[in-house]
Amino acid sequence: MRILVVDDEPDLVEALARGLRREGYAVDTALDGDEALAKASWTPYDLVCLDITMPGVDGLEVCRALRTNPAEGVVPRVLMLTARDTLEDRVQGLDVGADDYLVKPFAFDELAARVRSLLRRDGGRSGSVLVVGSLVLDTARHEARRGDRLVDLTAKEFALLRYFMSRPGEVISQEELLDHVWDEHADPFTNTVRVTVGTLRRKLSTDDEPGLVETVVGRGYRLLEEVPGL
Amino acid sequence: MTTGRGVATAGRLPVRLGSIRTRLTLLYSILLFGLAAAMVGGLYLSLSRALSDEPMSRDARYGVLAGQEAMPSSGSPPPHALASFEGEVNRRALDQLRTYSFFALAALLVGSLGVGWYVAGLVLRPIGRISSVAREISATDLSQRIDLGGPSDELRDLADTFDDMLARLDGAFENQRRFVQEASHELRNPLAVIRTNLEVVMADPDANPGDFRAAGEVAGRATARMSALVDDLLLYAHHQRSDVRREKVDVAGIVGETVDEFGAAAAAVNVSLESEAAPSLAVLGDAAALRRALANLLSNAVRVSNPGGSVRVSAGHDAEMVWVSVVDDGPGLGVEDQARVFDRFWRGDRASAREAGRSGLGLAIVRRIAEGHGGRATVRSTVGVGSTFTIWLPRLVAV
Repeated sequence: MRILVVDDEPDLVEALARGLRREGYAVDTALDGDEALAKASWTPYDLVCLDITMPGVDGLEVCRALRTNPAEGVVPRVLMLTARDTLEDRVQGLDVGADDYLVKPFAFDELAARVRSLLRRDGGRSGSVLVVGSLVLDTARHEARRGDRLVDLTAKEFALLRYFMSRPGEVISQEELLDHVWDEHADPFTNTVRVTVGTLRRKLSTDDEPGLVETVVGRGYRLLEEVPGL
Repeated sequence: MTTGRGVATAGRLPVRLGSIRTRLTLLYSILLFGLAAAMVGGLYLSLSRALSDEPMSRDARYGVLAGQEAMPSSGSPPPHALASFEGEVNRRALDQLRTYSFFALAALLVGSLGVGWYVAGLVLRPIGRISSVAREISATDLSQRIDLGGPSDELRDLADTFDDMLARLDGAFENQRRFVQEASHELRNPLAVIRTNLEVVMADPDANPGDFRAAGEVAGRATARMSALVDDLLLYAHHQRSDVRREKVDVAGIVGETVDEFGAAAAAVNVSLESEAAPSLAVLGDAAALRRALANLLSNAVRVSNPGGSVRVSAGHDAEMVWVSVVDDGPGLGVEDQARVFDRFWRGDRASAREAGRSGLGLAIVRRIAEGHGGRATVRSTVGVGSTFTIWLPRLVAV
């Protein structure tokens, strides 16, 4: 899941990016509306955290532009972050297409919970726990289990597994994984995707368990839906 | 006795005795009843006296003596019987007059109470309207108006004055509400920076001392910004008061002191500072506030000037006003920005303002001080050439 954080306060943007990365998201940052629109035009973000009051192109305009002209046809979820909390401000924000609205200063845990909730709507799954076969992923507590066994994952591996689990059984290309799980700092020519998929695959399966992540040669990877008990 | 009856009558009506309507009604009735009673009583007295003074039976006796001497007196009644008959007739007539008068006065009393009650109600109705509107008004909703129609009389005048006062209060409250709202918005941004940075670093079990140090530095910067903002908010609120000290102030002296004060700061960024002030520029005002206003303009001008540029301060007067101008050769302001430059929390460049810890209240304070002194603050600017900010103050002419 890839998130763009937009605010004209560099200190706030950096802290948010750091916190959201720890939650297992790929996070890019932008300090004004123009930068945000430029980045959103070449990356299909899953979610944009957007400050309303910015110099130049403000958050409302950015939100409108994201709706009307989405990158690769994917309209990102928009979470408005703003110091303005009057009724008109909220109505205006939701009217231009924001999915949620959070008033500064907010608790980071609340932001993280709302981000989880907004991203869940995409997958059409409810609850903060994803289940595929014997795999259970608790996105709120950052725990992955296979059956009864707790699987210890890094933030990146966790993010990768979450993306796989949001679309079980589908073939997902390496480019798509790079777009949605890695951020703008990832080198597109690197083999980081292959390496991370490899470590995730090893951690998910002990010697006697069947593998869960299948490589589809020339097309990408697929998470197998293992039937419990087999 | 009349008063007693009046009170008794009014007391039966379901209205408090203390109301103006009741008192007007009683006053009207008592006056009318008193006048009528005096008139009727006067008529009665004068009539009864006239009747007892000249009984007709005496005329009849004179007539007998003068003109009909030879007439036999056997046919006519004796004069004493005639007089007593006449006295009886007069007494009855007077009795009847008295009875009728009492009835008429009683009817008048009842009628005047009714009419008085009605008329007083008619006159006082707008007052009821005014007080009911005043009752409905609370400090948070001043949108109600009496809006009394009808002829322009004293009560209409009162209602219109009341409406005018409500409009002024409404405006002042609205302005105050917006100010508090804007101020809290401005404070929320640094608060969000502090809170998010602290929460993120505290929740990270792998955070090293460097991370904590970085978060601490961010919190320090944000706190300094908030302190500067709070200082300016207090200053701004302080100059809202109209009871500023009023004393004779020499503007030329203030220009000299403030320019001296900024000399080092201007030299540090290689900006030359010149000043010229005409002598005897007296105004009535608060010297500290005027120094603050000029200092805000100067710090603004020095900040926007390019290195090697110059800032010129001049002061003079026309027939009515004393003016102080600060001319810079900075980037200047577009027409749209010129209209907003004195607004609260307007910043030409938010990012650099934040770094410098500027609150966006400096020029708003200048305007407020100028207006508090009965003057105004103006700006003329050309993009690429520079800006001229001017404070105008009413001139104190020696008497």
